Amino acid sequence: MEIPRLSRRRFLGLTAAAGVAAALGVPLLKKEASLAQERPKARYALIIDTTKCTGCGACIEACRLRNHLPEGVSYIRRIVKGNERNPWFLMIQCQHCANPPCATVCPTNATYRREDGVVLIDERLCVGCKYCMQACPYQARVYDEERGVADKCWLCLPWVLGGGLPACVEACIPGARLFGRADDPQSEVAQLIASGQAKPLHPEFGTDPSILFYVIEA
Amino acid sequence: MQTAWGWLPAIYLFLGGLGAGSLLIAALFEFYGDRDRYDFFPIPLAGATVSGPLLILGVLLLIFELGAGRREPWRILYMFTHFSSVMTWGVWLLTFFIPIALIYGFLEVLDTFPAACQWLKGRRWLRWTAFLWNLPLRRTKRVFAGIGSALAVGVAIYTGILLSAVGPAIPLWSTPILPGVHLPLMPLLFLVSALSTADALTVDILTTLFAGGRFRYSRRTHLIHLALITAEALLISHLLLHAFGEGGAAAESARQIVLGQHAPVFWIFIILLAIIFPLVGHIYAAGLGWHMLASGLSSGISILLSGLFLRYLILISGVPAFL
Repeated sequence: MEIPRLSRRRFLGLTAAAGVAAALGVPLLKKEASLAQERPKARYALIIDTTKCTGCGACIEACRLRNHLPEGVSYIRRIVKGNERNPWFLMIQCQHCANPPCATVCPTNATYRREDGVVLIDERLCVGCKYCMQACPYQARVYDEERGVADKCWLCLPWVLGGGLPACVEACIPGARLFGRADDPQSEVAQLIASGQAKPLHPEFGTDPSILFYVIEA
Repeated sequence: MQTAWGWLPAIYLFLGGLGAGSLLIAALFEFYGDRDRYDFFPIPLAGATVSGPLLILGVLLLIFELGAGRREPWRILYMFTHFSSVMTWGVWLLTFFIPIALIYGFLEVLDTFPAACQWLKGRRWLRWTAFLWNLPLRRTKRVFAGIGSALAVGVAIYTGILLSAVGPAIPLWSTPILPGVHLPLMPLLFLVSALSTADALTVDILTTLFAGGRFRYSRRTHLIHLALITAEALLISHLLLHAFGEGGAAAESARQIVLGQHAPVFWIFIILLAIIFPLVGHIYAAGLGWHMLASGLSSGISILLSGLFLRYLILISGVPAFL
């Protein structure tokens, strides 16, 4: 007669424990509500005209300042191309791929893609395994040593949603960066993309970049 | 060269392969090695008992490698949730593999040492396990060996798929098995290396050390190990030749390995310690029929070291496709 009473008590205990675990776990698993659930209103495009870019690095520093990154860290990276007579510069940041390999390999689903194409990281889910940094063929990710999470360009989304511009676009001295809505056929970015002058970088990776485009002289 | 993953992931990949391979070696002798004809058979005993603890050590090291996951360990639970990620598959595989490997090792100990069985049966605080003692020990053990070896193949292959899954980002890691075939080489290489290092640990080192003079095992054991070492050598040369042929970042990876800054590691720890020295040692042992203490220990240790350096070399020389 003792055994059923004991098992019932244990059952109740287990149920309570499971309930507590669920109550604690569910809020932790929720995404950043403000950015993830807002209905998308636009499709954005950021075009970098490498024929105008002087490689000055103002975008790199503006990005660093706006995102409060430590000295020497930025979401934008400069690659020098060409030769000593005729160098040109390729500024690399998150390409906001439609098929992002970083999100595929992320074991915790911390990286996700909004409906408007912006790829974001929910840093509360990130465990800091750095797998995404290996999988990104553009090497667009940086590691936040302080918090131990992966980090990258987020298109300055709160500014953009509020009608502003990404810091790199605002800071660009030669005006090589164009930001606009690709879903508006009248916009300059849409026309550049439609004319075929602005192209995604390395489409052979199969990542289908959906926001970043480059004008590169052949 | 990539800098995000260094020594800790290399050790983790190595221990994952070693632990999985040890269980495979143990199961191999369990099913095909006349295990039942002996009361004491050191190879499956060694393989089954080290497997689980090695994996636990590897997982602990992996947790140290994590950033936020180390400081806030509950985040590790999120790693079970995203099934498009190879890492999530690995976490699930390890979740099932580690307990099964531990149980298999425990049953192997009970089977080898009946005195341990008697001692456990006599404990009053273990009375609630009485129903377990009615199970046939050997057959239960074989069930765990079977399930465990299926999972072990998965774990060993997973350590390779983890690298090859980055696709175009790091061309060396996604080298195909054959040109034009869309199957990555890395899982096969890591599986062969896992078996070879596990063979080195269980047969060359532990069996020679603790049962050297008293136990005679089949000469085929050495022939199997010779085949594994040869296969590993062929796979490594295929990896490098394919990388040189492909050009670009893959060729740069191969150049760094063979001629560049990682060349000392490659020529000393891979060519010499993984291939030439163990080949000589095992041809000698195959001729003799068993390992001398010196040949067993030296070739065993060199294979283990080289297995670790192979992972490290492949990790560190992963040149991104796009700089």
